[in-house]
Amino acid sequence: MGIYIQSAAQISIQKPLTDEWLQQPIEHTQHHVRAIEPNFRDYLEAGESRRMGRIQKRALATALSALQQAQLDMPEAIITGTGLGCVESTERFLQAMVRSGEDFLQPTHFMQSTHNTIGSQIAVKLGCHGYNNTHVQDGVSFESALLDALVNFETGRIRSALVTANDELTPDYFALLGQLNYWKQEPITRQTLFNAQTPGAFAGEVSVAFVLQNSRNELSLCQIYALELLHRPSPEQLASCLSLMLSDNNLTLSDIDAVMIGKSGDRDNDAIYAQHAHLWGGRPMAWYKHLFGESFSASGLGLYAAIKCLQHKCLPSHMTLNGASISNPNCILMYNHFMNREHSLILLSTC
Amino acid sequence: MNELIDKLKQELIEVLNLEEVQPADIDNNAPLFGDDGLGLDSIDALELIVLLEKNYGIKLNDPKEGREIFKNMTTMAEYVSQHRTK
Repeated sequence: MGIYIQSAAQISIQKPLTDEWLQQPIEHTQHHVRAIEPNFRDYLEAGESRRMGRIQKRALATALSALQQAQLDMPEAIITGTGLGCVESTERFLQAMVRSGEDFLQPTHFMQSTHNTIGSQIAVKLGCHGYNNTHVQDGVSFESALLDALVNFETGRIRSALVTANDELTPDYFALLGQLNYWKQEPITRQTLFNAQTPGAFAGEVSVAFVLQNSRNELSLCQIYALELLHRPSPEQLASCLSLMLSDNNLTLSDIDAVMIGKSGDRDNDAIYAQHAHLWGGRPMAWYKHLFGESFSASGLGLYAAIKCLQHKCLPSHMTLNGASISNPNCILMYNHFMNREHSLILLSTC
Repeated sequence: MNELIDKLKQELIEVLNLEEVQPADIDNNAPLFGDDGLGLDSIDALELIVLLEKNYGIKLNDPKEGREIFKNMTTMAEYVSQHRTK
Protein backbone atom coordinates (compact mmCIF):
# COMPACT_ATOMS: atom_id res chain seq x y z
CA MET A 1 0.00 0.00 0.00
CA GLY A 2 1.31 3.43 -0.91
CA ILE A 3 0.85 6.58 1.13
CA TYR A 4 0.55 9.71 -0.95
CA ILE A 5 0.85 13.37 -0.13
CA GLN A 6 -1.98 15.20 -1.82
CA SER A 7 -1.25 18.75 -0.76
CA ALA A 8 0.97 20.92 1.40
CA ALA A 9 0.50 24.47 2.70
CA GLN A 10 2.68 26.72 4.84
CA ILE A 11 2.68 29.88 6.90
CA SER A 12 6.22 30.79 7.81
CA ILE A 13 8.70 33.60 7.44
CA GLN A 14 8.34 33.21 3.68
CA LYS A 15 5.30 34.56 1.82
CA PRO A 16 2.38 32.56 3.21
CA LEU A 17 0.28 29.98 1.41
CA THR A 18 2.22 30.24 -1.85
CA ASP A 19 5.24 28.56 -3.43
CA GLU A 20 6.84 31.87 -4.38
CA TRP A 21 9.82 31.21 -2.09
CA LEU A 22 11.03 28.63 -4.61
CA GLN A 23 11.73 31.37 -7.17
CA GLN A 24 11.96 34.45 -4.98
CA PRO A 25 12.86 33.62 -1.40
CA ILE A 26 12.72 36.41 1.14
CA GLU A 27 16.14 36.83 2.74
CA HIS A 28 15.84 37.84 6.38
CA THR A 29 18.65 39.52 8.26
CA GLN A 30 17.08 39.79 11.72
CA HIS A 31 17.62 37.16 14.38
CA HIS A 32 13.94 36.87 15.24
CA VAL A 33 11.33 37.04 12.52
CA ARG A 34 7.65 36.40 13.14
CA ALA A 35 5.67 34.50 10.54
CA ILE A 36 4.15 36.48 7.69
CA GLU A 37 0.43 36.05 8.09
CA PRO A 38 -2.23 35.91 5.40
CA ASN A 39 -5.59 37.61 5.73
CA PHE A 40 -7.26 35.21 8.14
CA ARG A 41 -10.69 36.56 7.19
CA ASP A 42 -10.35 34.52 3.99
CA TYR A 43 -10.57 31.42 6.18
CA LEU A 44 -12.31 32.43 9.40
CA GLU A 45 -15.24 34.58 10.41
CA ALA A 46 -14.48 37.26 13.01
CA GLY A 47 -16.66 35.45 15.53
CA GLU A 48 -14.81 32.18 14.96
CA SER A 49 -11.37 33.61 15.38
CA ARG A 50 -11.91 35.93 18.34
CA ARG A 51 -10.94 33.25 20.87
CA MET A 52 -8.00 31.98 18.88
CA GLY A 53 -4.38 32.83 19.35
CA ARG A 54 -2.12 33.39 16.36
CA ILE A 55 -0.91 29.80 16.22
CA GLN A 56 -4.45 28.49 16.04
CA LYS A 57 -5.41 30.89 13.25
CA ARG A 58 -2.29 29.95 11.32
CA ALA A 59 -2.94 26.24 11.84
CA LEU A 60 -6.51 26.60 10.64
CA ALA A 61 -5.51 28.61 7.57
CA THR A 62 -2.87 26.07 6.50
CA ALA A 63 -5.18 23.14 7.27
CA LEU A 64 -8.06 24.61 5.29
CA SER A 65 -5.76 25.54 2.42
CA ALA A 66 -4.28 22.02 2.29
CA LEU A 67 -7.73 20.42 2.39
CA GLN A 68 -8.95 22.72 -0.35
CA GLN A 69 -5.96 21.88 -2.57
CA ALA A 70 -6.53 18.18 -1.95
CA GLN A 71 -10.26 18.56 -2.64
CA LEU A 72 -10.99 16.77 0.61
CA ASP A 73 -13.78 17.97 2.89
CA MET A 74 -13.25 15.67 5.84
CA PRO A 75 -10.02 13.87 6.77
CA GLU A 76 -10.36 10.67 8.78
CA ALA A 77 -7.64 11.79 11.17
CA ILE A 78 -6.12 15.06 12.36
CA ILE A 79 -2.62 14.63 13.74
CA THR A 80 -0.56 17.54 15.01
CA GLY A 81 3.06 17.95 15.98
CA THR A 82 4.18 20.89 18.10
CA GLY A 83 7.21 21.46 20.26
CA LEU A 84 5.96 24.41 22.28
CA GLY A 85 2.22 24.47 21.67
CA CYS A 86 0.28 27.67 22.27
CA VAL A 87 3.03 29.66 23.99
CA GLU A 88 1.49 33.07 23.38
CA SER A 89 -1.76 32.17 25.15
CA THR A 90 0.19 30.54 27.97
CA GLU A 91 2.24 33.68 28.45
CA ARG A 92 -0.85 35.88 28.39
CA PHE A 93 -2.75 34.10 31.13
CA LEU A 94 0.38 33.65 33.25
CA GLN A 95 1.33 37.30 32.91
CA ALA A 96 -2.24 38.34 33.80
CA MET A 97 -2.07 36.12 36.88
CA VAL A 98 1.22 37.65 37.95
CA ARG A 99 -0.14 41.18 37.43
CA SER A 100 -3.23 40.45 39.50
CA GLY A 101 -1.36 38.76 42.33
CA GLU A 102 -2.60 35.34 41.21
CA ASP A 103 -6.20 36.34 41.93
CA PHE A 104 -7.61 36.11 38.40
CA LEU A 105 -7.37 33.48 35.71
CA GLN A 106 -8.37 34.53 32.18
CA PRO A 107 -10.54 31.62 31.00
CA THR A 108 -10.04 32.08 27.26
CA HIS A 109 -6.26 32.25 27.29
CA PHE A 110 -6.10 29.42 29.82
CA MET A 111 -8.24 27.26 27.53
CA GLN A 112 -6.11 28.09 24.53
CA SER A 113 -2.85 27.39 26.26
CA THR A 114 -2.84 23.62 25.94
CA HIS A 115 -0.87 22.00 23.15
CA ASN A 116 -3.81 20.01 21.80
CA THR A 117 -5.97 23.10 21.31
CA ILE A 118 -4.51 23.39 17.83
CA GLY A 119 -5.74 20.02 16.58
CA SER A 120 -9.00 20.48 18.47
CA GLN A 121 -9.74 23.81 16.80
CA ILE A 122 -9.21 22.25 13.38
CA ALA A 123 -11.56 19.41 14.30
CA VAL A 124 -14.21 21.81 15.63
CA LYS A 125 -14.01 23.93 12.48
CA LEU A 126 -14.36 20.89 10.23
CA GLY A 127 -16.81 19.02 12.45
CA CYS A 128 -14.36 16.11 12.34
CA HIS A 129 -15.01 13.36 14.89
CA GLY A 130 -12.18 11.12 13.67
CA TYR A 131 -8.87 10.25 15.29
CA ASN A 132 -7.24 13.36 16.75
CA ASN A 133 -3.85 13.31 18.35
CA THR A 134 -1.10 15.77 19.23
CA HIS A 135 2.58 14.88 19.56
CA VAL A 136 4.86 17.01 21.70
CA GLN A 137 8.38 15.66 21.29
CA ASP A 138 10.75 18.61 21.08
CA GLY A 139 12.40 18.73 17.67
CA VAL A 140 10.83 15.50 16.41
CA SER A 141 7.23 16.43 17.20
CA PHE A 142 6.40 16.63 13.51
CA GLU A 143 8.09 13.35 12.65
CA SER A 144 6.20 11.70 15.53
CA ALA A 145 2.91 13.03 14.17
CA LEU A 146 3.78 11.79 10.69
CA LEU A 147 4.78 8.39 12.05
CA ASP A 148 1.44 8.20 13.87
CA ALA A 149 -0.35 8.85 10.58
CA LEU A 150 1.70 6.22 8.73
CA VAL A 151 1.00 3.60 11.41
CA ASN A 152 -2.72 4.38 11.20
CA PHE A 153 -2.60 3.99 7.41
CA GLU A 154 -0.61 0.78 7.56
CA THR A 155 -2.97 -0.79 10.07
CA GLY A 156 -5.96 0.11 7.91
CA ARG A 157 -7.56 2.43 10.46
CA ILE A 158 -7.69 5.45 8.17
CA ARG A 159 -7.72 6.26 4.48
CA SER A 160 -6.91 9.97 4.76
CA ALA A 161 -5.23 12.23 7.28
CA LEU A 162 -4.45 15.85 7.87
CA VAL A 163 -0.98 16.07 9.41
CA THR A 164 0.19 19.43 10.67
CA ALA A 165 3.18 20.99 12.43
CA ASN A 166 2.87 24.25 14.32
CA ASP A 167 5.21 26.29 16.45
CA GLU A 168 5.22 29.95 17.40
CA LEU A 169 8.06 31.85 18.98
CA THR A 170 7.19 34.82 21.16
CA PRO A 171 9.71 37.55 21.99
CA ASP A 172 9.94 36.28 25.58
CA TYR A 173 10.56 32.70 24.52
CA PHE A 174 13.07 33.90 21.94
CA ALA A 175 14.93 35.74 24.71
CA LEU A 176 14.88 32.69 26.99
CA LEU A 177 16.20 30.36 24.30
CA GLY A 178 18.76 33.03 23.41
CA GLN A 179 20.26 32.63 26.87
CA LEU A 180 20.92 29.00 25.91
CA ASN A 181 22.75 30.10 22.75
CA TYR A 182 19.94 29.00 20.45
CA TRP A 183 20.29 32.06 18.25
CA LYS A 184 23.13 33.74 16.38
CA GLN A 185 24.54 36.95 17.80
CA GLU A 186 26.17 38.24 14.62
CA PRO A 187 24.23 39.59 11.60
CA ILE A 188 22.33 36.92 9.70
CA THR A 189 23.35 36.29 6.12
CA ARG A 190 23.17 33.17 4.01
CA GLN A 191 26.96 33.01 4.26
CA THR A 192 27.14 33.21 8.06
CA LEU A 193 24.56 30.46 8.26
CA PHE A 194 26.28 28.39 5.59
CA ASN A 195 29.70 28.60 7.21
CA ALA A 196 28.32 27.72 10.65
CA GLN A 197 31.37 28.81 12.60
CA THR A 198 29.49 30.06 15.65
CA PRO A 199 26.72 28.71 17.87
CA GLY A 200 23.09 29.54 17.18
CA ALA A 201 20.70 29.61 14.26
CA PHE A 202 18.07 32.18 13.39
CA ALA A 203 14.52 31.76 14.49
CA GLY A 204 11.45 31.08 12.40
CA GLU A 205 7.84 30.19 13.05
CA VAL A 206 5.99 27.30 11.47
CA SER A 207 2.52 26.31 10.50
CA VAL A 208 2.45 23.62 7.87
CA ALA A 209 -0.26 21.17 6.86
CA PHE A 210 -0.32 18.11 4.65
CA VAL A 211 -3.13 15.94 3.37
CA LEU A 212 -2.17 12.29 3.08
CA GLN A 213 -4.20 9.44 1.65
CA ASN A 214 -3.71 5.79 0.82
CA SER A 215 -4.73 5.95 -2.81
CA ARG A 216 -3.10 7.75 -5.67
CA ASN A 217 -4.97 10.10 -7.96
CA GLU A 218 -4.23 12.98 -10.32
CA LEU A 219 -3.70 15.33 -7.37
CA SER A 220 -1.02 13.22 -5.70
CA LEU A 221 2.20 15.20 -5.33
CA CYS A 222 4.50 12.44 -4.14
CA GLN A 223 4.70 9.20 -2.22
CA ILE A 224 6.19 8.65 1.21
CA TYR A 225 8.30 5.53 0.95
CA ALA A 226 9.56 5.43 4.49
CA LEU A 227 10.03 7.27 7.76
CA GLU A 228 12.47 6.15 10.41
CA LEU A 229 13.06 7.71 13.82
CA LEU A 230 16.20 6.77 15.73
CA HIS A 231 17.22 7.65 19.26
CA ARG A 232 20.93 8.43 19.66
CA PRO A 233 22.00 6.19 16.77
CA SER A 234 25.64 5.32 16.20
CA PRO A 235 26.95 6.06 12.68
CA GLU A 236 26.72 2.31 12.00
CA GLN A 237 23.08 2.17 13.08
CA LEU A 238 22.25 5.16 10.92
CA ALA A 239 24.02 3.58 7.94
CA SER A 240 22.25 0.28 8.53
CA CYS A 241 18.87 2.00 8.77
CA LEU A 242 19.48 3.87 5.54
CA SER A 243 20.60 0.72 3.78
CA LEU A 244 17.50 -1.15 4.90
CA MET A 245 15.24 1.74 3.96
CA LEU A 246 16.67 1.82 0.44
CA SER A 247 16.64 -1.95 -0.10
CA ASP A 248 13.06 -2.23 1.17
CA ASN A 249 12.07 0.14 -1.60
CA ASN A 250 14.30 -1.41 -4.27
CA LEU A 251 16.46 1.69 -4.39
CA THR A 252 20.15 2.44 -4.16
CA LEU A 253 21.91 5.63 -3.15
CA SER A 254 22.30 6.55 -6.80
CA ASP A 255 18.50 6.78 -7.11
CA ILE A 256 18.44 9.64 -4.61
CA ASP A 257 18.53 13.00 -6.36
CA ALA A 258 19.13 15.04 -3.23
CA VAL A 259 19.61 14.63 0.49
CA MET A 260 17.85 17.45 2.32
CA ILE A 261 19.38 18.07 5.71
CA GLY A 262 18.48 20.20 8.71
CA LYS A 263 21.63 22.32 8.56
CA SER A 264 20.79 25.53 10.39
CA GLY A 265 23.98 27.55 10.69
CA ASP A 266 24.52 26.44 14.28
CA ARG A 267 28.08 25.18 14.60
CA ASP A 268 27.27 22.26 16.89
CA ASN A 269 24.10 21.25 15.05
CA ASP A 270 25.79 21.31 11.64
CA ALA A 271 28.82 19.36 12.83
CA ILE A 272 26.55 16.31 13.15
CA TYR A 273 25.51 16.63 9.52
CA ALA A 274 29.13 16.94 8.48
CA GLN A 275 29.98 13.87 10.55
CA HIS A 276 27.41 11.80 8.65
CA ALA A 277 27.96 13.29 5.20
CA HIS A 278 29.80 10.17 4.01
CA LEU A 279 26.59 8.14 4.36
CA TRP A 280 25.01 9.81 1.34
CA GLY A 281 27.60 8.52 -1.14
CA GLY A 282 28.32 11.93 -2.60
CA ARG A 283 24.71 12.58 -3.57
CA PRO A 284 23.86 16.31 -3.87
CA MET A 285 22.82 17.91 -0.60
CA ALA A 286 20.28 20.63 0.10
CA TRP A 287 19.09 22.65 3.08
CA TYR A 288 16.03 24.69 3.97
CA LYS A 289 16.53 26.33 7.37
CA HIS A 290 18.29 29.35 5.84
CA LEU A 291 14.90 30.08 4.21
CA PHE A 292 12.51 29.12 6.99
CA GLY A 293 14.54 29.48 10.17
CA GLU A 294 14.93 27.14 13.09
CA SER A 295 12.13 25.96 15.35
CA PHE A 296 10.94 22.78 16.99
CA SER A 297 8.76 22.07 13.96
CA ALA A 298 11.23 23.19 11.28
CA SER A 299 11.43 19.66 9.86
CA GLY A 300 7.78 20.05 8.83
CA LEU A 301 8.83 22.88 6.57
CA GLY A 302 11.69 20.69 5.35
CA LEU A 303 9.17 18.11 4.19
CA TYR A 304 7.04 20.85 2.68
CA ALA A 305 10.08 22.20 0.78
CA ALA A 306 11.01 18.74 -0.50
CA ILE A 307 7.45 18.09 -1.69
CA LYS A 308 7.35 21.41 -3.55
CA CYS A 309 10.68 20.66 -5.23
CA LEU A 310 9.30 17.33 -6.43
CA GLN A 311 6.03 18.95 -7.52
CA HIS A 312 7.72 21.75 -9.47
CA LYS A 313 10.43 19.41 -10.78
CA CYS A 314 13.25 21.64 -9.63
CA LEU A 315 15.46 21.95 -6.61
CA PRO A 316 16.66 25.56 -6.93
CA SER A 317 20.30 26.56 -6.59
CA HIS A 318 19.61 28.62 -3.46
CA MET A 319 18.78 25.38 -1.65
CA THR A 320 21.69 23.17 -2.67
CA LEU A 321 24.94 23.16 -0.76
CA ASN A 322 27.02 23.21 -3.95
CA GLY A 323 24.95 26.01 -5.50
CA ALA A 324 23.85 24.02 -8.56
CA SER A 325 20.16 23.52 -9.20
CA ILE A 326 18.78 20.04 -9.73
CA SER A 327 16.18 19.62 -12.42
CA ASN A 328 13.58 16.90 -12.40
CA PRO A 329 14.31 15.45 -8.98
CA ASN A 330 12.41 12.21 -8.46
CA CYS A 331 13.61 11.03 -5.13
CA ILE A 332 14.57 13.07 -2.05
CA LEU A 333 15.91 11.75 1.22
CA MET A 334 15.42 13.97 4.27
CA TYR A 335 17.74 13.69 7.21
CA ASN A 336 17.20 15.71 10.39
CA HIS A 337 18.43 15.46 13.92
CA PHE A 338 17.48 17.26 17.11
CA MET A 339 20.43 17.99 19.39
CA ASN A 340 22.04 14.78 18.19
CA ARG A 341 19.46 12.84 20.20
CA GLU A 342 16.58 12.11 17.87
CA HIS A 343 17.41 11.47 14.23
CA SER A 344 14.93 11.04 11.40
CA LEU A 345 15.06 9.82 7.83
CA ILE A 346 12.18 10.37 5.41
CA LEU A 347 12.22 9.00 1.89
CA LEU A 348 10.01 10.67 -0.72
CA SER A 349 9.50 10.01 -4.37
CA THR A 350 7.41 11.31 -7.21
CA CYS A 351 4.51 9.09 -8.18
CA MET B 1 -25.19 55.64 34.20
CA ASN B 2 -24.56 56.26 30.50
CA GLU B 3 -20.91 56.91 31.21
CA LEU B 4 -20.62 53.58 33.04
CA ILE B 5 -22.44 51.76 30.22
CA ASP B 6 -19.98 53.16 27.69
CA LYS B 7 -17.04 52.13 29.86
CA LEU B 8 -18.45 48.63 30.29
CA LYS B 9 -18.98 48.32 26.54
CA GLN B 10 -15.34 49.21 25.90
CA GLU B 11 -14.17 46.71 28.48
CA LEU B 12 -16.49 44.00 27.16
CA ILE B 13 -15.25 44.48 23.59
CA GLU B 14 -11.65 44.32 24.74
CA VAL B 15 -11.91 41.34 27.06
CA LEU B 16 -14.03 39.30 24.63
CA ASN B 17 -11.92 40.34 21.63
CA LEU B 18 -14.95 41.48 19.63
CA GLU B 19 -12.77 43.01 16.92
CA GLU B 20 -15.57 44.01 14.57
CA VAL B 21 -17.93 45.45 17.18
CA GLN B 22 -18.01 49.15 18.12
CA PRO B 23 -19.56 50.37 21.40
CA ALA B 24 -22.28 52.08 19.37
CA ASP B 25 -23.23 48.72 17.83
CA ILE B 26 -24.31 47.35 21.20
CA ASP B 27 -27.88 48.27 22.07
CA ASN B 28 -28.17 49.01 25.79
CA ASN B 29 -31.29 46.85 26.09
CA ALA B 30 -30.52 44.08 23.60
CA PRO B 31 -29.70 40.63 25.02
CA LEU B 32 -25.99 39.92 25.38
CA PHE B 33 -26.45 36.16 25.18
CA GLY B 34 -28.33 34.02 22.68
CA ASP B 35 -28.96 34.43 18.97
CA ASP B 36 -31.02 37.62 19.20
CA GLY B 37 -28.33 39.94 20.56
CA LEU B 38 -24.59 39.96 20.75
CA GLY B 39 -24.47 36.15 20.71
CA LEU B 40 -22.22 35.64 23.71
CA ASP B 41 -21.86 32.19 25.25
CA SER B 42 -20.91 30.50 28.53
CA ILE B 43 -17.18 31.11 28.11
CA ASP B 44 -17.89 34.81 27.63
CA ALA B 45 -19.91 34.71 30.83
CA LEU B 46 -16.82 33.44 32.66
CA GLU B 47 -14.79 36.31 31.20
CA LEU B 48 -17.43 38.81 32.33
CA ILE B 49 -17.43 37.39 35.87
CA VAL B 50 -13.63 37.84 35.95
CA LEU B 51 -14.02 41.38 34.55
CA LEU B 52 -16.46 42.42 37.29
CA GLU B 53 -14.20 41.07 40.00
CA LYS B 54 -11.01 42.49 38.57
CA ASN B 55 -12.22 45.96 37.58
CA TYR B 56 -15.03 46.60 40.07
CA GLY B 57 -14.31 44.33 43.03
CA ILE B 58 -17.59 42.45 42.56
CA LYS B 59 -17.41 38.74 43.38
CA LEU B 60 -20.30 36.67 42.06
CA ASN B 61 -20.65 33.62 44.29
CA ASP B 62 -23.78 32.28 42.66
CA PRO B 63 -23.36 31.82 38.88
CA LYS B 64 -27.16 31.90 38.54
CA GLU B 65 -27.02 35.60 39.44
CA GLY B 66 -25.23 36.15 36.17
CA ARG B 67 -28.34 35.41 34.13
CA GLU B 68 -30.03 38.56 35.39
CA ILE B 69 -26.92 40.71 35.70
CA PHE B 70 -25.68 39.99 32.19
CA LYS B 71 -29.10 40.21 30.56
CA ASN B 72 -28.09 43.40 28.75
CA MET B 73 -25.79 46.40 29.17
CA THR B 74 -28.32 48.33 31.25
CA THR B 75 -28.80 45.53 33.81
CA MET B 76 -25.07 45.00 33.97
CA ALA B 77 -24.37 48.71 34.57
CA GLU B 78 -27.10 48.92 37.22
CA TYR B 79 -25.64 45.96 39.10
CA VAL B 80 -22.11 47.36 38.87
CA SER B 81 -23.13 50.80 40.11
CA GLN B 82 -24.94 49.26 43.12
CA HIS B 83 -22.31 46.70 44.12
CA ARG B 84 -18.93 48.02 43.06
CA THR B 85 -16.24 48.25 45.70
CA LYS B 86 -13.66 49.97 43.51
